[in-house]
Formats: sequence, C-alpha cells, structure tokens
Amino acid sequence: MTFGELMNLIFTGNNLALLGAALAAALAGMGSAKGVGLVGEASAGLLSEDPSKFGKALILQALPGTQGIYGLITAFLIIFKMGILSGSPATLTVAQGAYFLMASLPIAIVGYYSGVKQGKVAAAGISLIAKRPKEVGKAITSAALVETYAIFAVLVSLLLVLFASV
Amino acid sequence: MSVSTMKKLTVFAHREETDELIRRLVRLRCVDVRTAEISAEQGIGRYDRETAGVGSEDRAAEVEAAMTVLSRYATRTRSLVRPKAKVDMDNFLSDGSADRAWQVVKRTLATSERQSALRSEIAKIESLREAALPYRAFDAPLGMTETERTDVLLGAVPAGVDMVALGKELYGAGAVAELLSENAAGRYISVFCCKSDTEAVSGVLSSYGFVRATFRGVEQGAGTYLRRLETSLSSMREEQERLEQSYVALAEELESVEILYDAVQTELTENACKQQMASTEATVLLSGWVPERAQKRVEELLAKHVCAYELTDPTEEDNPPILLQNNGFAANFEWVLGMYSYPKYGRFDPTFIMSIFYFIIFGIMFADAGYGLVLILACFGGVKLLKPGQSMERFLKMFGYCGISCVVFGVLFGAYFGDLPLAIMRNMMGIPEAELPNLALLGSSAANVAVLFDPLQNPMGFLVVSLGIGAIHLIAGMAVKFYILCRDGHPLDAILDIGAYWLLFAGIVMIFLLPTAGVWVAVAAVVLIVLTHGRSEKNPVMKLLKGLLGIYDLISYVSDLLSYSRILALGLAAGVIAQVVNILGTMGGASVGGFIGLVIAFVVGHLLNIAINVLGTFVHTSRLQYIEFFGKFYEDGGIPFEPAVPSEKYTEE
Repeated sequence: MTFGELMNLIFTGNNLALLGAALAAALAGMGSAKGVGLVGEASAGLLSEDPSKFGKALILQALPGTQGIYGLITAFLIIFKMGILSGSPATLTVAQGAYFLMASLPIAIVGYYSGVKQGKVAAAGISLIAKRPKEVGKAITSAALVETYAIFAVLVSLLLVLFASV
Repeated sequence: MSVSTMKKLTVFAHREETDELIRRLVRLRCVDVRTAEISAEQGIGRYDRETAGVGSEDRAAEVEAAMTVLSRYATRTRSLVRPKAKVDMDNFLSDGSADRAWQVVKRTLATSERQSALRSEIAKIESLREAALPYRAFDAPLGMTETERTDVLLGAVPAGVDMVALGKELYGAGAVAELLSENAAGRYISVFCCKSDTEAVSGVLSSYGFVRATFRGVEQGAGTYLRRLETSLSSMREEQERLEQSYVALAEELESVEILYDAVQTELTENACKQQMASTEATVLLSGWVPERAQKRVEELLAKHVCAYELTDPTEEDNPPILLQNNGFAANFEWVLGMYSYPKYGRFDPTFIMSIFYFIIFGIMFADAGYGLVLILACFGGVKLLKPGQSMERFLKMFGYCGISCVVFGVLFGAYFGDLPLAIMRNMMGIPEAELPNLALLGSSAANVAVLFDPLQNPMGFLVVSLGIGAIHLIAGMAVKFYILCRDGHPLDAILDIGAYWLLFAGIVMIFLLPTAGVWVAVAAVVLIVLTHGRSEKNPVMKLLKGLLGIYDLISYVSDLLSYSRILALGLAAGVIAQVVNILGTMGGASVGGFIGLVIAFVVGHLLNIAINVLGTFVHTSRLQYIEFFGKFYEDGGIPFEPAVPSEKYTEE
C-alpha cells in the first residue's frame, strides 16, 4: 500500500465528519473540565471555612460545564446527520466531510477557550461569595457573560450542521 | 409594582420602657431599626453597649448545643415538614414553661458533660487494664520494684526470643526469671535478682530486647488490681447506659426546647435593636424606617407606651431601605431583581415588567411541555407539601410559573420530553417514518407534533422568534426610560434620545416593506440624532462629534439584539439532549427489557437534562434582564428593607 492509498483510506468523507464531531466533543469538553476543575479547587477552600455555602458554590462550579454540553450537542447532531444512529450511515464525499469538520470548529475552539476563562471568572466569584454571600447573583452574571461567546459559537456550529445538505 | 413609601421613625422613651417597647416593636415586624446618632458633648451615648444582651449569645449557643444532642434521641418520626408549634410567647415566658425548658437544656448539657468525662475516664482505665493484663499471673504487688535485698523487674521481650537461652543467661547472672504470659506481641516475664547483680542482669535483659513495664503506686497483686479496674469499668458503663436513658427522657421535651430556641433568638434580635439605640441617663432614642402602610399599626403601638415619637418623610440625605410592592405573580420575581440590585428609593420598580418578559423568555428557551409539567408539579407541589418560608416559597413559585410558560411554548414547538411521542412511535411501535404525524403549521416536511413548527427542523424560524421577543424586550426597556424621563419632567430628552431611535428602527424595518419611504425615514432619524445628540455640549465641534457618536449607539442596540440568539442556542441544546435520551431509551424496541430501558433512560436522562437546562435557562434569562433590559433604564443601588422580626424557626403566633 502506498502512502497515498493509506491517506485515501483515512481521510474519507465520513472520517472527516467524525473528526469534526470528535473535536467538538473533546476540545469543548476539555475546556469545561478545566473550568469546572478550577472552580472546584477554589470552592473547596471556601467550603472548608463555611460548608453552608455549598449550594451557591455548586451553581458557580456548574457554570463552566455548559461548553462541554455544547460540544456534545454539536457532536451528536453531526452523528445524527450522518445517519449512524439510525443504522443507515450516509457515505459522505470528502468535501461533505470537510464541511462538517469546519462546522465543528467554532464550538471546538471557542468552547475550549471560554470554558477555561469562564472557570477563572467563576473561581474569582467564589472568593466574592466568601466575603459577600448575598452578591452571588453578580458572580453568576459575570461568569455568564463569558459564556455568551460559547453560545454564539455553538449557534454557528449548530446552524451549519442543521443546514448541511447530506 | 412600586417601591413602598417609607417613613422615618424616631422614638424617645423612658429607659424602663425600653425592653417592653422593643419586644412589641419586634413583634410588629415592620420596623427596620437603624443606628441612632450619638453626640458626646450633649451626653448622648450608645445604649448600654456593655450590658445590653450580655450572656444572650452564650444562652443561644447552649440551647443550640442541647438541641443538637437531643435531636439524636428524639423518638418522633423524622419528616421534612413539621408543622410549627402555635405558641403564645408571652405565656411561654411567664408561666414557667420557659424555665422548665431551661432545666431541660441545663440537664442535657450536664449529662453531655458527664458523658464526655466518662468517655475519657473509660478510655484511661481501659489502657491501664490493657497494660496490666499480661501480668495477671504476678501475685506480688504490681507496683513493687524492690525489696530490701532484691530488685524486681517486670517487662516484655519480643515474641521470637529463645526463652531457654534467656533463662540460662539470667540464671548465670544471678537472677530468677518467670514467664507470666505470652501473646503475638511478646513474652511477659518477671525477674528477681539481688541488688548487687542488678547491673549484670540488666545487661543480659537489654541484649534480649527487654522493655520494662512500670506500675507506679499499684499496691495490689495483678489479679486484684485487674478485678478492681474491671469493676469500675462496668460501673462506668452502667452509668453511661443510665445517661443514655436519661437523654431519651429529656428528648421528650425537645419541643419545648425548640420553642425556647425561638425565644432566645428573638431576644438576640431585640438586643441587636437595643445596641443601635442612643441613650442618656434616663431616656433612650430609637430610630428606624417604617413602610407607610404600616404607619397606623406602629402609631397604635407607640400610643400605649410612655414615649414621644415622630414619623417623618425621608429627606435628601436619607437613604431609606427598599420594600417592593408587587402583585401575587410579580412578587415571586422580586428575588431575581434582588440578585442584581434593588432600585433606588423613589425610582422605578421594574419587577412587574421584568416578570412578564422573564416568564416568556424562560418558556421559549426551555420550551417543552413535559419538562414544564415537571417544573409545575415539583415547584407548586413543593410549596404545598413543604410549606417553606416566604423566600423559598417565592423561589419555587417563580419556577412553577415559568413551568406554565414552558408548557405553552412546548405545545407550540411540539416538544414533549423532546421528541418522546415520535421516538416511541418510531422505535417501539414500529410505525414507518412516512406515516408519522406532521402537524406543524409552518415550514416542515418531516414528522413532528408541533402546533407552530419544530425548532430543530426550522431553526431560522426559531431564530426569528428569539430575536423578535428580543426586539420587543429592548423596546420595552427603552419605553420605560421614556416614561421615566417624561415623569421626571424631561419630555424633550425622551423624544430626542429614545424617540429618534425608534424612528430609526421604524425606518430600517420599513426599508424591507416600502424601500423608498423607509430610506427617507431612516435618513431623517439619523440626521435628527446627529443634530441633537450633542445638545448638552457648548462647543459646536463637540456638539457635532457627540452627535456622530450617537449613531454609534446603534451598534450597541444591534449587539444587544443579537444577544437574544442565545434563546435559540439554549432551546436547541435542551431539545437535542432530550432527543439523545429518547434514542437511547427507545433502542430496546417494544419488549419488556426495552420498556425497562425506556423507564431508566427516561428518569435519569430527562431529570439530568432538566437539571442542566433549568440552571442554564435561569442564568441566561436573568442575564438578558440584567444586561440587555436593565441597561436601558434601571437606576439601582437601594438597600433592602429588613425589619426586626421574631425568630420563627419552630413556632408561629
């Protein structure tokens, strides 16, 4: 088998689309994992002082988790569109596969970055509620501002996938 | 939908009246006590800073500690909802019930103290017993270390030691050794030797790893000593048992201790009020805030006491606390406003308008009839069953109302736990794709059960709905600003700053319908904005520059509007996850196993989806209110009205 033949086997349309699904789920999931982890570390410090703030800390910790969900949704929609779950997978051309790969990039890239950044803001919010527990609304709102861009990214990804012609 | 009018309350009273007056005011629940001004020159100081409420905190801590202990022994059934005891606090405090409850607390604490003393005593004796146990066979007094001529050594050597060799060596050095007992840890021996041989014997022993055991002061033989220890152990254990029993008896009185808890907590509140007061030798001065609608009740109460009081309108320097007044629906959304910030005193309370948009936007973002029903049942059911306090009740009711909105939009967009009806028809009943129902009125060829359209099949339609509600929301925010400007006597500002933009929006919309007229309307609006936006500047160049900058605001309106596309994104997110759950749930087909799989996937998957998405929807619906809506008009910064109220954790009047 020549190198060219191997490449042709690997980079089929279906595999490119799956690569897109994998990137969306993996990168956005990594961003969320990192973000949720950051907030978890910060909130453990707070809870050691005052366990009664668990509810508030939990909400803040859950916030950077959404990027991973957006990545998951995009991945699932690509898999839906390919017909893998309904048992009759479509055979995509390389161009069609590349389309799905491109469509997955917004949420893959922005999902990673905004997950990490949102985690940092939410972790700072933990120190805010440590001192002023009543201001949890402001901490949540600041963290939600970061998520806006992940929402826009998943919107682009979802629309591209939903309008794909397969 | 307004901020309640507040009256500033100032009361002068005799010192002797203080306790009774404060007790009654706290009961009235409508006075937010503030720090009264003091002035050293005029001999006005803080009210008994040192003595007011000394010991209350300790008492409160004692009651809480006793409750923690007793609740472990309470025989009553555990339940989430315990009806509060109906108690007349005056009676409770005066008829001796409070004293009896105090006795229970004291006895509980004494018992608990004795318990911990016993525990450490028992641990101590047990360790003594452990140490002496291997030497039970030793008849002479355990504490004996020497006689006139001989030395006595008790101790252990490691388990692996060759006892015969050790015995021989010791005999050689002039000692008599006896093996008392042995176990896995070692062999326990007694060694007697003449004092002159002690050095040689010690050398032998230490070469075998001998560790000496000492029982200083024990004059009985090991057997007697151990029996004595065991007797006192068993009597202590008996006492422990008796104490446990007395706990059970004391726990019967737990309810009266709980009433006492509320009484003591109320006392803490009263003391906190007193510490805010100013006083001279014979009088006290209390100041605070009273909502206008409670004015009558406060006046009636004060009339019964020997005091002088006045209720005045707030002045410019005052910063009265904020009490919001809203109807039964909107009041449940006040806490969302509170999470942002309360309005300034005398300014516009946006709760009612916000509540309507919150209701609608939440419903569109989380449009699903099934999920909405779950929210309604959980929230209103929670209110019915748990009978929570006011803040929790409002929290639950708000989500319950939002659930109604979710049901409405769920029916419009055909979501019942995602696409569960279709998934069951398709995968469990085996109906072919072509025969699945298609009910949508708008743009759809695939199967769905929507009244309007299915967002997953027609995302652009859903985007239009999202941005449409966003446009209405933004214009409503501008309308509120318009109203505020007119009310404050700046109608010109309202027309030029808000009206001109509305003209611009109208022009832009008209371009799509009547292109020529639309362009002219838009151009007219732009000219109006450029000419008038810098009207506050004196320098003509600055006037023009600021006018041009006014056009820049259009960009922020566009970005505000696009922010509402999150409704689409979050709506799709909930829908897609629900579909995934349904696919997994209906994979098993129409078999018994398939049905069990459906139930598991349904309960776990959909509950998870509800949890994730209610949080997301709550956060982002709130954000749209806080940033996009409030940004247009809101004047915030008020402090909430927090009247001194009696503690009602376990009781009610």
